[in-house]
Amino acid sequence: MLSRVADNLYWMSRYVERAEGVTRLVEVNRDTDLEFYASEIKRDYWQSALCAMCAVDDFANDEIDDHELFILFSKKWSSSVLTCINMARENARMVRDQLSEEIWVELNNLYLFLNSSTFPEKFRSDPENFFRRTIRFSLVFQGLSDATIHHDEGWRFMSLGRYLERSDQTSRVIDTLTMLGEEPTRLDLIGALRSCSALSAYRRQYQGALSLRNVADFLLFSRDFPRSLRFAVSRIDTLLHEISGVPSGNFSNEAERLTGSALAQLNFSGIESLLADGLHESIDHLQRKLIEVGQSIFETYVLLPFEIKNAGVAPMAQRQMQQQ
Amino acid sequence: MNPNTFENYQTENFFDEMFGNSNDSNIFEFYKPIYDRITDLTESEFEQKKKQADSSFLEHGVTFTVYGDDIGTERIFPFDLVPRVIPDKEWQKVEQGLRQRILALNLFLNDVYHGGKIISDGVIPEEVVKTSAHFRKEMVGFDVPQDIYIHVCGSDLIRDEKGKYLVLEDNARCPSGASYLLENREIMKKTFPRTYQKMSVRSVEEYPEILLRSLENLTPRKLQKPVCVLLTPGVYNSAYFEHTFLARQMGIEIVEGKDLIAIDGFVYMRTTQGLVQVDVIYRRLDDEFLDPLFFNKNSLLGVSGLMDAYLKGNVAIANGIGTGVVDDKVTYAYVPEMIHYYLGQDPMIEQVPTYLCWREKDRKFVLENLSELVVKSANESGGYGMLIGNISTQKEREEFASRIKDNPRDYIAQPIISLSRHPTFCPHGVEGRHIDLRPFILYGEDIEIVPGGLTRVALEKNSLVVNSSQGGGSKDTWVLSN
Repeated sequence: MLSRVADNLYWMSRYVERAEGVTRLVEVNRDTDLEFYASEIKRDYWQSALCAMCAVDDFANDEIDDHELFILFSKKWSSSVLTCINMARENARMVRDQLSEEIWVELNNLYLFLNSSTFPEKFRSDPENFFRRTIRFSLVFQGLSDATIHHDEGWRFMSLGRYLERSDQTSRVIDTLTMLGEEPTRLDLIGALRSCSALSAYRRQYQGALSLRNVADFLLFSRDFPRSLRFAVSRIDTLLHEISGVPSGNFSNEAERLTGSALAQLNFSGIESLLADGLHESIDHLQRKLIEVGQSIFETYVLLPFEIKNAGVAPMAQRQMQQQ
Repeated sequence: MNPNTFENYQTENFFDEMFGNSNDSNIFEFYKPIYDRITDLTESEFEQKKKQADSSFLEHGVTFTVYGDDIGTERIFPFDLVPRVIPDKEWQKVEQGLRQRILALNLFLNDVYHGGKIISDGVIPEEVVKTSAHFRKEMVGFDVPQDIYIHVCGSDLIRDEKGKYLVLEDNARCPSGASYLLENREIMKKTFPRTYQKMSVRSVEEYPEILLRSLENLTPRKLQKPVCVLLTPGVYNSAYFEHTFLARQMGIEIVEGKDLIAIDGFVYMRTTQGLVQVDVIYRRLDDEFLDPLFFNKNSLLGVSGLMDAYLKGNVAIANGIGTGVVDDKVTYAYVPEMIHYYLGQDPMIEQVPTYLCWREKDRKFVLENLSELVVKSANESGGYGMLIGNISTQKEREEFASRIKDNPRDYIAQPIISLSRHPTFCPHGVEGRHIDLRPFILYGEDIEIVPGGLTRVALEKNSLVVNSSQGGGSKDTWVLSN
């Protein structure tokens, strides 16, 4: 398939996944904020959320001065829900011939809803509707991706985008727990689980025993929970090998090598050794590896060999940087 | 009042597609079934159908982009639910006339890029051809594949106050609108299924297949399945929806300039599995932007080296380079002569009398009669650069007069034709609105024309400008099969 198309599909689904993650985060923060009102602990959730998303400077420079509205609707910040949906649609528009009609209609509908002139009023009077609709859209989008289009190369690039974004989101959520400056409370832990829509799955596994160790263990190492880091990296590994045709356990490009090494760590180490090395440092390390995976996919499948050397000049590379 | 009532319908002094010249509401027999269906609708049924159609367009992203507005403003192309009906016999005549015309236009292009017999025989002055903005001297002496220059042609047709068909202009570069024709049909089939069946309307859905066949016909490599691509200027182009639509319907890749790379006289597309050689490019990009090494050096939309590959015969491009000469409204004035010269026939469809401002006599006449004429710039399209005399202000006329004097070659003038009108839903009942017709003529191994075309309608009362960029809308066109 066309390299640009692969790139567009990848970013389309990455932005959809990001929109969902950010929406959940805000929804959970709103709720936890309420709970903390009555307690003695004072938490600046919004600040730590901005920290985890590397958006502190963006917020300072934006004309929107409300945390929540900034995260949801900033037009300047590249990861606000509004920007994500607009970018997802922009990418989709460039590859409409590859998508099923249903996918396009769903995405376009949400885009029209968020960009309609009546939206701000609707959000003020019924914010819940917005949260529900955005999260539901992302889930419908995933279902439609799986049920209405060929599971061919293009679909694999879409799935890659989704799982790379998801691994990024999950690792950031765990990281917020290390950035509180003190032991996370019960509410902090519940908030983290809910941000990954993992609360009930977690309860089933641990029957309610909330601890940082268990929460981190679950979100990092669960083999079967679809938002754990291990699950996502394992999917990335499979998808990369399906695309290249090289058997798993070997590698034919840098993306495969890095993913393989991250997966080995997640498969064969455990929470104890990670805690011993320092949770924040370990997560940071994994996160950086995954960012490199994204870059290597781009270099392997989108750029031509002679463009990698002067990637600064290639127009595609410029676009990639803008999107990130 | 119901929007679907004909109660106060007036044909006035125009030719009406449904009622002809009569004011006594003698409806043409072939319009009867759809007329009955529409007038039988209750107001709420009508509203519901209208709403369904509009939301279907918006949801499916059947939109176009308006320039000069905010960058990238998307709008739906307004659609009117009263279909235009053309009886079989009438269409056959139109179809023959269009075939004749594209044959002559194509022979003309082949001639002017190979010595120009028509010029040396004194039928068309050399300066008309050589000063045409879209004449490409690089194409002189080059043999295009199968000698076909115009693979897709949109020659706009209008009907005058007596109902006579006239060619208004030719679009031989990248005519757009075929996707709306196909989408309109989808919507109409859903809206009036039984009437559609009862009237036995001829189908149009084969268009993408025919188009693909005529592209494959050009391949330089004799492959079972040549690699064809659609080259688009990109997502901000006004016709981008159409580009993706057609690519999807044909099952070919839609590429932007940056997806292609020319190496040593061959063109490749960049894929995840490496470079793949391209045989045929259906380009929706004007000549000027195709290759920065050849034409506009600042173009970021094209492919460096594309023209080199084309002139070496390693890649085919549709439409060919340099077809814009026949879009020139000065060249247009000579098409009847071309038909006589190349085919020895009389034009089957007449065209609008045209005054050429570079002729001194014509110019004098034009300048003295500005308020009774339409003045057009020879090389603008989309309804831009136009003066409609009878509704212009003194200031506009003065401005055009000075432009004509400065640049007589660039202006032509025509009498103001009262385009035919068609019943159209308006907020206070059905009213007559002016229309034209853009048929799509495909020139591959054979010449094929899907029945009808895109009927464009000027939604504003009394307006004669049907272009989408100027507030026009469209209708489905039903050619009947018997």
